[in-house]
Amino acid sequence: MLHPVGTGHYLVLSLALLLVGILGVLTRRNLVIVLMSVELILNAVNINLIAFSKHTGNLAGQVFAIFVITLAVAEAAVGLGLLIALFRNRETTSADEVNLLRW
Amino acid sequence: MEGRLLSLILLTPLAGVLLLLLTPGGNRRLIKLMANLAGVAGFLVTIPLMMNFKAGTRGYQFTERLPWIPSLGVEYALGVDGISLLLVALTALAGALAILCSWGAVEERLKEFYALLLLQQAGMMGVFLATDFFLFYFCWELVLIPMYFIIGMWGGERRLYAAIKFVLYTVLGSVLMLLGILALYWQHFQQTGIYSFDIVKLMQVTLPPGTEHWIFWAFFIGFAIKVPMFPFHTWLPDAHVEAPTAGSVILAAVLLKMGTYGFVRFSLPLLPNASADRTVVRVIAVLSLIAILYGALVSLMQKDWKRLVAYSSVSHMGFCTLGIFALNHAGIAGSALQQVNHGISTSMLFLLVGIIYERRHTREIAQYGGLAHAMPGFAKVFAFAVFSSAGLPLLNGFIGEFTILQGVFAANRTWAAFAVMGVVLGAAYLLWLYQRTMLGAVTREENRGVADLTPREWLTFLPLMAWALWIGLYPKPFFDVLDAPVRAILERVAVR
Amino acid sequence: MTAFYTGTDHFAVLPALLLALFGCAVLLFEFVLPVGMASRRALAALTLAGEGFTAYSLYRQHSYLSSQGWPALTAFQGAVTIDGLALAFNWMFLAAAGLAALISYRYLETEGEHSGEYYGLLLFAQFGMFFLASGTDLIVQFTGLETMALSFYVLVGFLRGRRRSNEAALKYFVLGVLSSGLILYGFSVLYGISGSTKLSAVAGAVAGRGAGDPLIWLAVATLGAGLFFKIAAAPFHMWAPDAYDGGPTPVVAYLSVASKAAAFVLLLRLFLGPLAAAREAWQGLTVMVALASLAVGTIAALSQDNVKRLLAYSSIAHGGYVLLGLVAGNARGLQGIVVYLLTYVFMNTGAFLVLVLLRRGEAEGNHIDDLSGLMRRSPAAAVLMLLFLLSLGGLPPSSGFIAKYYIFLALVESGHYALAAVGAIFAAAGLYYYFRLVKTMFGGRELAGEPLAASMGTRVAMVSTAVVTLGLGLYPEPLLQLALLPVKP
Repeated sequence: MLHPVGTGHYLVLSLALLLVGILGVLTRRNLVIVLMSVELILNAVNINLIAFSKHTGNLAGQVFAIFVITLAVAEAAVGLGLLIALFRNRETTSADEVNLLRW
Repeated sequence: MEGRLLSLILLTPLAGVLLLLLTPGGNRRLIKLMANLAGVAGFLVTIPLMMNFKAGTRGYQFTERLPWIPSLGVEYALGVDGISLLLVALTALAGALAILCSWGAVEERLKEFYALLLLQQAGMMGVFLATDFFLFYFCWELVLIPMYFIIGMWGGERRLYAAIKFVLYTVLGSVLMLLGILALYWQHFQQTGIYSFDIVKLMQVTLPPGTEHWIFWAFFIGFAIKVPMFPFHTWLPDAHVEAPTAGSVILAAVLLKMGTYGFVRFSLPLLPNASADRTVVRVIAVLSLIAILYGALVSLMQKDWKRLVAYSSVSHMGFCTLGIFALNHAGIAGSALQQVNHGISTSMLFLLVGIIYERRHTREIAQYGGLAHAMPGFAKVFAFAVFSSAGLPLLNGFIGEFTILQGVFAANRTWAAFAVMGVVLGAAYLLWLYQRTMLGAVTREENRGVADLTPREWLTFLPLMAWALWIGLYPKPFFDVLDAPVRAILERVAVR
Repeated sequence: MTAFYTGTDHFAVLPALLLALFGCAVLLFEFVLPVGMASRRALAALTLAGEGFTAYSLYRQHSYLSSQGWPALTAFQGAVTIDGLALAFNWMFLAAAGLAALISYRYLETEGEHSGEYYGLLLFAQFGMFFLASGTDLIVQFTGLETMALSFYVLVGFLRGRRRSNEAALKYFVLGVLSSGLILYGFSVLYGISGSTKLSAVAGAVAGRGAGDPLIWLAVATLGAGLFFKIAAAPFHMWAPDAYDGGPTPVVAYLSVASKAAAFVLLLRLFLGPLAAAREAWQGLTVMVALASLAVGTIAALSQDNVKRLLAYSSIAHGGYVLLGLVAGNARGLQGIVVYLLTYVFMNTGAFLVLVLLRRGEAEGNHIDDLSGLMRRSPAAAVLMLLFLLSLGGLPPSSGFIAKYYIFLALVESGHYALAAVGAIFAAAGLYYYFRLVKTMFGGRELAGEPLAASMGTRVAMVSTAVVTLGLGLYPEPLLQLALLPVKP
């Protein structure tokens, strides 16, 4: 017998996505993949918001999710813009070669 | 002007800074004249204070009070009692002499140099005049920056190292002291509901014993580094050796006194139970005795003239702290007077080193010998300074050391015995220094033609020598002035 | 039925509206005006005019609230609140943005990257900060945060032709979006436990659950990590030295003071607002982060030869002090935070300003050796830098002393003696690297080259930062009055 899918399941899913996203940002070397990991984090947030909205019956969460989607677009635009600027000067998208500034 | 006399004393050096900044930069002579004018003015304005000061009166005189930072209860509050009066006089004199002695010694960036000296003088005056703890701390820190530059820009070869060492040591001590001040301030607020830094009001706080001890040690670190007590003294030889003569004079005559003054003014009356605690007293007495003996022994071994005088300061300041923590009338009064004595005699010694260094460009004792032949005047003044510093009867050092020893003897005979050994060693290293540099045959040709003291140099020594003789021959007025405040302190500390 | 847009709403957000309006106007004018020096000047002037109008509208809010005895003015059904906290921080942002605009002109001319977008982004960032300071709704705060952050990503990378700037911007961007994501995740959890995005409603739900609840813990952990990233507190500080090093200096000045203050105000709104009930959940974490920041900032700064990186580490340490004010958790601590950040705006901008002066022709002006012998080359710049460094080091008679004083007082009042002692020791140690710069300026060998010339705007900025830094050190009462605002009933 299947258990009904509840808010808790969504929360677990979103946490998992969050962790995958964080790991991706911190470990992946290709900047395009880093950008995609950021999208994962934002979508983890969206899953949370929608699930909670359903759970509490408050619509603000869904509105919030739309804001987050908008943000994700803006972030991607800025991020790609910066990446292109770097690419013009350097011709690489690998984080390993972004090495002029020592950590 | 009566009501604002202390502000006048505080602001005259600052007016001097302004005057200097407005003086055109090209004319070096004019700058020097202006600076000396400001220095002398700074001294002259303290004369009415000394004339009108009423010895034997309890509490602060010439008090002034203006709100400064009302939200914190900080006031611009000034006042003098006998202990601060002597140090104000000493500061005014040392400030003027430091400017005078730089006439020939400093030729670079005159304006900045003199402006910093005057700025520092204002800060030191603030330290001794403030009766508000915040104002005291403010001025305490203000003194630091001019001294950093005086050492760091006009000093010797390792000047930058010495200057930063001086700053870091002092700041480390003073930030911890600040925490002590804040804790006291907060306790006062909790008990009275009033935010105030007024040291008279802060005395009314009754502190839990544990807190009082913590505050005491916080103050102790701040003051002990400044004095400097063993084992916090290591900044002092470096700072003294690298500083230009004017800087050494100010350091020895005034800056070190800020530490002992802090003990007398704040630690004892504000934290009487912790100050009178047996363990505390014992620790401080032992540290003072180590400073006296260690300072003397290290002086004995020095090859560098200026370093020797610097270590002698460590030894002499040990007497001052020992006297304070004898916690009796003779000890504290003697220590207050000894602070002035040390200011006078060590200033003279540093001025003399400065003069000989200007002529010969070395401070190595072995380079000298038989100087008395070429410089009879110099030798006379040097003898005077050595006797004064070593505590020869009829001069100031004797009165101070003797009174302190009297107090220490009453408190603990063993300490007194060790302290007497310090006196003997003090005489030894000073007289040996005199013998090696001044007496005997001239060993090096360079020392034959060294010029004797010029009239301007004589002028710097005369007031110091006069004051030393005065204290040595007739110390009564000084003890009269000190009597009332010392009694007030003892009433607080005796409570236990 | 509640009205959609009332007079109160308008009054409350007018400063932000003006900022947005002028930001757009700058972009538009850049398009319309002919290319040339005169137009670029006009754009800079327009930006300053925008700041002027914003200042006036803030002043009106200030005088209105003060005449009413400091009520919290809510607008948009509680989504925006103008209170003492919001005003104190908005004054800070205004000062930081104004100073940044003043010092940018010459720098951008030297770099050859002068354009209207720069000024537009400057204003848009401030627009975002306005809503961080006055937003009391998660969506509003989130929007404000992102508006600010996105503007800053671009500003840091504004020198398109320079690889350092590109790299700085990318690093800042990657870690910035990560922290935004974390904060957002925290927001979503807060929304989940309360079913509302209003902070007041969230507060009730948090209080109902208590500090031990795992969801509260999750919210605190994600929000904390994200916000500590934004304020560059250790161990989340890695982006700061790179972003400071590579970014255009005026932007870095703006970033280091305004973005830090903005992140702090969000932290205050959340941690002293809804999460105040769960103090046990974040107190320990904050103590650790504050101490780590002090240690990392102070120790790493000791060995820096690049002045911008040095100031970055010093800024991390300063963040640690401000966090200690939050740890104290009393009214004095909150005042201390405001005092600290406000003085920091002036002293840190001042220090960067001198670096802007040093940037001329081929000379980068970032290396410690570029300061060598500055006292001989340009005494005014050296003395000002000295003042700012003393202030950063927390010595009287500068405003930095009052700032540190307040933090220590707050710690003593709340009984955190050990923390106060650690902070004091790091304060003393920090002087070492500030004095390293002082030593170079006053003792170092003089560099060849003409005396530094300052543009009109730079001069105005120099004088105002110096006057404020010294003036507030000597007579801090006005500053303290402003700092009292957040705790007025």
